Amino acid sequence: MTTSPVSTSTSALSPSDDRLNFPQTIAFPALERRDYAMQTWLFSGVFWMVVAASIGVIEAVKLFHPEFLQGIPALAYGRLRPVHVNIGIFGFMSMGYLGAAFYMVPRLTQTALYSETLGVLTAWAWNLNLTGGVLAILMGFSKGKEYEEMPFPFDMMVGLLEIAIAGNLFSTITVRKEPRLYVSLWYILLAIIPFPIYYTLGNVMKFRGIEDAIVNWFYSHNLFGLWLTSLGLATLYYIVPKQLNKPLYSHAISFLGFWTLAAFYPWNGGHHVIWGPVPMWVMSASVTASIAMLIPTIATMVNFGGTALGTQGVMKRDISYRFSILAYLSYVGTSLWGSTLAIMDLNAKLHFTSTTIAHVHLGFVGFGLAGLVAFVYFYLERSLKLGYSRTLAEWHFWLTTIGIIGYVTSMGWLGWLEGSEWAAGNSVQGVLELRYWYNVARAGSGGLLLIGQLILVWNIWKTMTSPPSDGAGLDDLKSVSLNEGVVL
Amino acid sequence: MRFIREFPIIVALSFLFGLAFTGLVLGPVFASDIAQPSAKLVAYTPTEQAGRHIYVREGCVYCHSQQVRNVKADQNMVDAYGVSKAGDYYYDLPHLLGTSRQGPDLSNEGQVWGKASGEFAREYLIGHFKNPREYNPQSIMPAFNYLSDRELEELTDYVQSLGAWKVTPDPTEAEAKS
Ligand code: HEM
Ligand code: HEM
Repeated sequence: MTTSPVSTSTSALSPSDDRLNFPQTIAFPALERRDYAMQTWLFSGVFWMVVAASIGVIEAVKLFHPEFLQGIPALAYGRLRPVHVNIGIFGFMSMGYLGAAFYMVPRLTQTALYSETLGVLTAWAWNLNLTGGVLAILMGFSKGKEYEEMPFPFDMMVGLLEIAIAGNLFSTITVRKEPRLYVSLWYILLAIIPFPIYYTLGNVMKFRGIEDAIVNWFYSHNLFGLWLTSLGLATLYYIVPKQLNKPLYSHAISFLGFWTLAAFYPWNGGHHVIWGPVPMWVMSASVTASIAMLIPTIATMVNFGGTALGTQGVMKRDISYRFSILAYLSYVGTSLWGSTLAIMDLNAKLHFTSTTIAHVHLGFVGFGLAGLVAFVYFYLERSLKLGYSRTLAEWHFWLTTIGIIGYVTSMGWLGWLEGSEWAAGNSVQGVLELRYWYNVARAGSGGLLLIGQLILVWNIWKTMTSPPSDGAGLDDLKSVSLNEGVVL
Repeated sequence: MRFIREFPIIVALSFLFGLAFTGLVLGPVFASDIAQPSAKLVAYTPTEQAGRHIYVREGCVYCHSQQVRNVKADQNMVDAYGVSKAGDYYYDLPHLLGTSRQGPDLSNEGQVWGKASGEFAREYLIGHFKNPREYNPQSIMPAFNYLSDRELEELTDYVQSLGAWKVTPDPTEAEAKS
């Protein structure tokens, strides 16, 4: 952990030069350590990841053994599930990847973070606010719509805090010393700028009936597509070339992937209500856009695939890189799968089944979790120059991989069976027996995943409390090399 | 403010986002079948509304959908009750369409276990909320035995209202006949 103050690099931007820098004058010396903000975000994300997975396992057990923890209102399945989802999205994914963003932005811009103090304070406020929000859900104050359960004032605080976060990152990008914008920064801009609009729309505005459902899904899909996916891809675009020490396969393809993603993702919302009681054109627009998502998906697939070609040696050696590949494969898999789920005939069969659950967890665990973990190992090794335990990391990798495969195949296959049964005229009650062992398998895979993540936490703890090894600085603010990303 | 090269990017991104916003958010506001209730649809009574609140609080929506689609998987429900239409949800706030069928669809529960079946249906519903496995040992529905009697009554009122309006005679039609 570095304790050098950032004042040297901010002196050029002292408040007298530029009124924009006024917030920088509010700085608590205790918080002004370099990378303090990014560490707070990142490790909070790791913490919430473990919480989300633990609740996931509890839920998974309840789905085949409902007597488990029965009779406690706050632990009823219907209250735990939104808590699992909100912690997963706003705790683990948002905080972890914002940690990565707070790390990447200063390095890619060659500029110290606009305000380290603000970054740390927003992270703690986010943590407190999320804790309040999920306690409110457990106590029965849910707003009742998926992905927007947190009640007032916690929902409003998320929006306000995001504006402060976006301001912090955006100001850093604006006053940057490096004129070029690497593709990761494009994705970060896409993530941080529209968020307040769709977040407010989904959480604060009131609509009635079906309009409410359409807005619910417009918001939710932007949350997955523009917020989580963009932050995740930004991170992969940053670490993969560095792990391989070679440039990206093609910047033209990054460009294509980025702009098609930005054009099509916001239209995807309606694919959650295919065949539902919504106007036909909402459905067709969203189905078209979902299938058009094949373009950015394939662009990403080719770009990372081309970069990764012939890197088996690195894969053996570098666990962090192996996690990047896992995240990459899961991202491509989730997205290709998503596009097929939006095909109307297939959706007629698979909507309401466990297939959706399999798709979701390949996205959040396969892509989200593996990508974040890749960044965590990368950060420990390359930035803090700390050697983590390789044995523990191997265990972590294999438990995670087996857990993901077990989860996704059990739920994916179950969903297909459910869909076939229902299409053949069977009822929901008629598939209860069929579900049993698949649900057991899912809980088992979830258990492996959870154990894997506990190993990670133990490994991080041991590594951070041990003295640094004296390897060459590979990725600090000064020596960062942008060559791998001759910039768009 | 040295390098403002991100501004063209932001303008382009805003344009793309605005396009989707116009299509998916502003567009539906003007769709006529969303803005009008279905014929015969009645607003929730205060107890039904209270029951709906409990349904939201306990997260029933995560397992039960309220939406019948015109597809093969829903054919039995389509034959019995018809396909769900936008206007059916006119009084729903928040919407409770659901995305999962861990349990059966409830959009016509007010006809399956309706008021028309008398005390028997009510007793069944309340007993089932308190202990679903007494009725179906394979059920994985949580036992809501911690709800108060009053809450159970309200929840039952709400569930019995679902889709029940479809079979009550339309008051305007009845008037026209007499
Ligand atoms: C140990 C790992 C995990 C287990 C065992 C697990 C289990 C579950 C279960 C049982 C459900 C409810 C499924 C249903 O309704 O049928 C669920 C839903 C969900 N989980 Fe997980 N989960 C895990 C990890 C995660 C993580 C890390 C995230 C991160 C964001 C996540 C995000 C979600 C989301 C978004 C849903 C809602 C899906 C939907 O509404 O379609 N899960 N999970
Ligand atoms: C090209 C990319 C993608 C497309 C076209 C797509 C498409 C879809 C479709 C059609 C559904 C609805 C399934 C149904 O209910 O019948 C869905 C659900 C979902 N997708 Fe994706 N998906 C994509 C990528 C992703 C990624 C990368 C993630 C996660 C990071 C993700 C997260 C989710 C979640 C959370 C849901 C469940 C929503 C719910 O029912 O609660 N998707 N997706």
